[in-house]
Amino acid sequence: MKKNLILMALLFLAILSCEKDDICIEDTTPNLVLRFYDNENQTDVKQITDLTVWVINYDSIYVNQSLDSISLPLDLNQNVTTYILANNLVNDTITCSYDRNDIFVSRSCGYKTTFDNMQIESYTTNWIKNININNTLIDNDTTAHITIFH
Amino acid sequence: MIQRHILLFFISLFYVSAAISQVENDTIKIKEKYGIRIGVDLSKPIHSIFETESKGFEIVSDFRFLKNYYAAVELGVIDKTTNEDYINFTTKGSYFKVGINYNAYENWVGMNNEIYVGLRYGLSFFDQTLNNYTPNVKGTYFIAETLEPNTQFSDLTAHWVEFVFGMKVETFKNLYLGVSISFNNLISTTDPENFKNLHVPGFNRVFLNNTGVGFNYTLSYLIPIIKKNK
Repeated sequence: MKKNLILMALLFLAILSCEKDDICIEDTTPNLVLRFYDNENQTDVKQITDLTVWVINYDSIYVNQSLDSISLPLDLNQNVTTYILANNLVNDTITCSYDRNDIFVSRSCGYKTTFDNMQIESYTTNWIKNININNTLIDNDTTAHITIFH
Repeated sequence: MIQRHILLFFISLFYVSAAISQVENDTIKIKEKYGIRIGVDLSKPIHSIFETESKGFEIVSDFRFLKNYYAAVELGVIDKTTNEDYINFTTKGSYFKVGINYNAYENWVGMNNEIYVGLRYGLSFFDQTLNNYTPNVKGTYFIAETLEPNTQFSDLTAHWVEFVFGMKVETFKNLYLGVSISFNNLISTTDPENFKNLHVPGFNRVFLNNTGVGFNYTLSYLIPIIKKNK
């Protein structure tokens, strides 16, 4: 009887020690995903051959890359972020505004910020022809939220 | 020769039977104490010495109602601040546990020790305060500022079951030292909006699958009420 009890106690301890809620594995604050399309043929994805992206007053996120979609962090301390997208050294500026919501995820992840009411406040049209918002709610970064035609 | 052996055998048989009958005549009436045992959990005050952000107090009591069965009650208060990577919160409240212990230890004459298994039902009323949090963001491009909402979530409840394994040793007359470990399983809890009860008074840390573990180190005194024959 005694031996069995000790064994049971050890077994319980072993099960409990397998808990992994100290490591954050859930999705946290999402990025803004932009996808580039051809303005002439609006269903076709059109790659940018030499793309450099940064947020005004910040470091660059992409440097001289050839891409058809980009994932950009949104400023989670403010309700507005201004990006500069340079296509073959031609700059265009996009200013996004949004609301922020902090959503509880888990013990180890804490809170994540999701963004709602996404709007394009302003953008320049040096190489960008048109911008379309697909989803005003940014709560994951699996699909494109904004489409850019060029 | 054989006759002598047979004689010896019968003589020894006689002695053995005489010895057995003597033991039966010798039987002393052994009294066992039944009463209320009251004590405190020593682990919580000790814990608060090392962890200044954790304060707690627990009173434990049990009552022997059958030879091997004890009705047990625990009452406590907790004020604990938990600091995680991205959140910091304070849990404040009281709890109540009731259940039974079954003593699986066969004592020698005159000993009153226990190795027991037990079951408890636990109930807690508490508040959670989200002191501060930092939104979790991948990378270091934008560094999230720490926010201090100090949101208080009041009138929260939780109830659970515990499987207890422990022992109690009589160190001095009627004074017992006890140690126990409990495995807890949350039945239900009222979770605050946009937050979670990650710590429940009496239940302790709530793990992912609503389980928990508790540890007690008690000092208790037995007030004998009746003495029964074993």
